[in-house]
Amino acid sequence: MNWSIARRSRALGVAPLLAAALALVEVAPVDAHHSSAGIDRSKTVSVEGTVKTFRWANPHSWIEMEVVNAAGETEIWNFEMLPPTYLIRAGWTRSSVKAGDRIRVEANGFVNGDPGGLFVSVTLADGTVLTQRPPGRGRGGRGN
Amino acid sequence: MRTSRIGPLARAVLGLAAILLAAPAVPAQQLSALAPENLARPRPAPPFDLTGMWLHSGNERFDPPEGFVLTPEAQVHYDAAQRATAENKIYRNDIGLCWPAGMPIMMTRVWPVAMMQYPTAIYMISELMNSLRVVYLDGRTHTDPDIAVPSFNGESIGRWEGDSLVIDTRHFVDHHHWIHDRLGIPASDALRIVERIRMLEGGNRLEIEFTLIDPKVFEGEWVMTKFWNRVTDRDIAEVECLPELNEHMPTVHSEFQVRDLEEIQP
Repeated sequence: MNWSIARRSRALGVAPLLAAALALVEVAPVDAHHSSAGIDRSKTVSVEGTVKTFRWANPHSWIEMEVVNAAGETEIWNFEMLPPTYLIRAGWTRSSVKAGDRIRVEANGFVNGDPGGLFVSVTLADGTVLTQRPPGRGRGGRGN
Repeated sequence: MRTSRIGPLARAVLGLAAILLAAPAVPAQQLSALAPENLARPRPAPPFDLTGMWLHSGNERFDPPEGFVLTPEAQVHYDAAQRATAENKIYRNDIGLCWPAGMPIMMTRVWPVAMMQYPTAIYMISELMNSLRVVYLDGRTHTDPDIAVPSFNGESIGRWEGDSLVIDTRHFVDHHHWIHDRLGIPASDALRIVERIRMLEGGNRLEIEFTLIDPKVFEGEWVMTKFWNRVTDRDIAEVECLPELNEHMPTVHSEFQVRDLEEIQP
């Protein structure tokens, strides 16, 4: 049994094109070691709340936020983010979001509506919007 | 009174004999790959030096060849993973739960790999959980299977062949270790991986042809070629998979996780 599509491609002389196409993968990893099972990547939810923790860390940064739901109860929402390597290029610092900040987060949420999701962007109290990637780098992926 | 006199040479011979008789009968110890006397041994110059940061490009998965045949034991996990995927769930998700990716996955995930080449060994550190892999080049052979300690990255012995480095890796763990985690293709302790590495494009690109055999998991050989680009603007970072991390990863705690085979059996 032998599977060697890559070697056949090289023989056909498409390696440079393949390399150029694949170079994009470096800046836009779309998969991770944390599975996105259950996440609806075709939609975003918008959630406003108060930051409990913002962790600037590898392999993922994350935001833990308190959100008051329609019933008036406080829920905890966690948002999984890319690592700082990517966030820095998108203009973030480790103090872009701080505990106590009032923010609005856009995220890919769960299909069943459970709290939490994959971070897409944040609107800070002063109106500043931060995403995970510099403009023109495509849709958000996952850094791990 | 006359005393016996032993000359210096005889004393030395007797002393050596005493040491040899007293020494336990253990095999000669393998010199560490970083022992100065091992590093200093004369060896032919290698055809290339892998020292640098490398980032895999392309499909990070070890997708199986068309028509591959799994063993019945492995098929159970594969089928479970397919059912989980069909239900928008993830089966096992061991890497997400901080188990090491292991070989072959550690080489191709989206994180870079730092490689440091010495005459006696190549040290590789994947930024994904800082997983360590050592490829010995000092002529040692694989450890006796009866005493080898299984690991996720295995025991790698390399040798130079023309313009290539050929690495033979064995002695893998047989639990929480996957050849393809998303497809549910496990790795067993019979997994053996042979890599043939070539350096291309003036040292800026690597080609590795992987040949996998694992008779406990699939029939025949599984061969595929992957590529890496040299990265010059990035250093290796500390990346730990910590309990605190997973407490705050919403996907890890969702109802879409399938931890056990029994949860997904038809």
